[in-house]
Amino acid sequence: MGDSSVAVRLDKISKRLGWTWALREIGLEVERGSSVVLIGPNGAGKTTLLRLVATLLKPTTGTGEVMGFSLQEDADAIRYRTGLLSAHGHLYGDLNALENLRFAAWMGGVSVDEARLRAALAKVGLDHVSKQRAREFSSGMQKRLAFATLLMRRLDLVLLDEPYASLDSDGIRMVDDFVDEWRAGGGTVLLATHRRGLAVRKADRVAVLQAGRLHRYCRPDELEPADLDPQPVVPAG
Amino acid sequence: MKSSLALRTWAILWKDLLIELRTKQSFSAMVFFAALVLFLFGFAIGPDTATLSRLGGGLLWIAIAFTGMLSLGRTFQSEEVAGGLDGLRMYPGEIRAIYLGKLLANFSMLVVLEVVLVPVAAVLLQLEPWGRFPLFVGITLLGTFGFSVIGTFYASLTQHLRARELMLPLLLFPALVPVFLGAVNGTTLALAGDPLDRIGGWIRLLISFDIIFFVVCVWIYPLVLEE
Amino acid sequence: MTITDLPQPNPGRARLLGTATLLVVAAGSAAGLFLVPADALQGEVQRLLYVHVPAAWLAMLSFFVVFVMSVLYLIQRDPKWDLLAVSAAEIGIVFTALALVLGSLWGKPTWGVWWTWDPRLTTTAIMLMIYVGYLTVRSFADDPDKRARWSAIIGIIGFVDVPIVYLSVLWWRTLHQPPSSPRSMAGEFVYVLLLNVAAFTLLYVYLMLRRYRLAVAERHVEELRLTRDDGRIT
Repeated sequence: MGDSSVAVRLDKISKRLGWTWALREIGLEVERGSSVVLIGPNGAGKTTLLRLVATLLKPTTGTGEVMGFSLQEDADAIRYRTGLLSAHGHLYGDLNALENLRFAAWMGGVSVDEARLRAALAKVGLDHVSKQRAREFSSGMQKRLAFATLLMRRLDLVLLDEPYASLDSDGIRMVDDFVDEWRAGGGTVLLATHRRGLAVRKADRVAVLQAGRLHRYCRPDELEPADLDPQPVVPAG
Repeated sequence: MKSSLALRTWAILWKDLLIELRTKQSFSAMVFFAALVLFLFGFAIGPDTATLSRLGGGLLWIAIAFTGMLSLGRTFQSEEVAGGLDGLRMYPGEIRAIYLGKLLANFSMLVVLEVVLVPVAAVLLQLEPWGRFPLFVGITLLGTFGFSVIGTFYASLTQHLRARELMLPLLLFPALVPVFLGAVNGTTLALAGDPLDRIGGWIRLLISFDIIFFVVCVWIYPLVLEE
Repeated sequence: MTITDLPQPNPGRARLLGTATLLVVAAGSAAGLFLVPADALQGEVQRLLYVHVPAAWLAMLSFFVVFVMSVLYLIQRDPKWDLLAVSAAEIGIVFTALALVLGSLWGKPTWGVWWTWDPRLTTTAIMLMIYVGYLTVRSFADDPDKRARWSAIIGIIGFVDVPIVYLSVLWWRTLHQPPSSPRSMAGEFVYVLLLNVAAFTLLYVYLMLRRYRLAVAERHVEELRLTRDDGRIT
């Protein structure tokens, strides 16, 4: 128990969802302060893996640790230090930007002083629409607001699921800047995307998922071309 | 600093009530639905005011139960629209805060509904709660709380089931029988002035139900959300 | 990876139990129908009670079994508890329906009405609805873990609810009119009744064994049909 130099350690993690094995015997280690990009086709298990590391799913078999805390026993300690930005922003459309942040601050155990909330909005370029309902935001703006909810908390591990979706080039640059900033501050980043490119090149390591299995886990320069364009798995028989 | 259970419960309660406030249409729809149920009863039973008045307690609670049933799932539906309960489950701290926050939100909304509905029922069904008003209010609150305790629990459980509009009443109504009997009989006695002072037993029943199921539901709740 | 192998009841022992059950049930039925005279007041209809009372007893026993299996499942997460629970629920619902129908049939000639809102009968009807809810939830959940977990929760809450329902209906009836006189039985009638209770309890155990075996087989079929090595659903 307690912190270690390894941010995430998974040992033969398998997860059964319904009757499908969404993850099969995944084993990997992520060093603190590094960034790992998860790539793979839709349905490969990227989202499931991120949700499992975020403790939203319990492993069916296998063990794992995040920041030294066991996935099975100390899930709450993990949630305290981990933030997940899922493909859907988890924003409440009827609440305005400030209120969404206030809610996230209350739930995340962060002090809710207005100046702090505004600073977070300013950081993502949304302070001019602080009183606007989230449902009126463009999808790019919603992504920014979702980022703001993460920025407010002091997180050691950040999990991003398809962060580039629906962003323009400014937005994409913003995501990359945040990732750099988090890493510079000693944080660890796990990023899932089916879009290759800059993120993959800048990552410390790339994990290629196919049909729930870890096909390859290596540095970006060690990737084979086939990894970046995997063929869909044809069911046997 | 991790948020305390109280703070998280408050945050969820605040959020759900704020969302409800912003979508005013659904609340007025609730009120009109309840009033419609009362009207239907009037048509079904006939305009004999003596009968309607005698049955008034029961009719009022049927209207509250049906309307409540339709509104119980709303706080969970708003989570689904926002991308699912993952959002709430991601935060550190006691997961039961989700249940407590939504329980209080449902309870508050039902109480507000009742504040509007009781005068309407009083007019349509010739009810006179003014005689033993504190008792009437007490019974209503106890009954509403019991309804909210088990209603919120089952609303959460059925959220991801197919045919959830059918599953919620199917599961909820057998469990609600004691609350319903207690509320209806307590209300009827309170309205009639309770000359033989028999309301005590019903109050005790409601309190026992509320406490027992509050403890059981709060305790079991994490198992409902587990994945 | 497959689901852990579930324990199976010994088929030889099951056959022995089946034979014994058949004999005792036959004895009980013969006694109830032929050996014992008709009741002085109620007439032949009273014979229905020799099945109604055991059925009601088994309905409640089954409810308790569902509760215990649900608790065990939630603690140990072993699928066998879940399969035992669904077996008990299915058998329980049959006996509950039987008890209600027989109770109603007995009530008509005895009290003149099909339904009397008698506390025991009413509570049994509510129990039936809880059983129906339990089984319906199961039919709507595809994921085996969620199915087991949710129905276990319903089994537990239902069990906590039933005594409170009974008390509330009892209180409600005493308010409006005195409770119906208890069905007391004298002398030899009691022995026949007890014989039938024993017979039906044996039948219950036998049915549970068979249903559980079936549930285990169903579970294996489900697993084989839906799990493939590449992890995809068929």
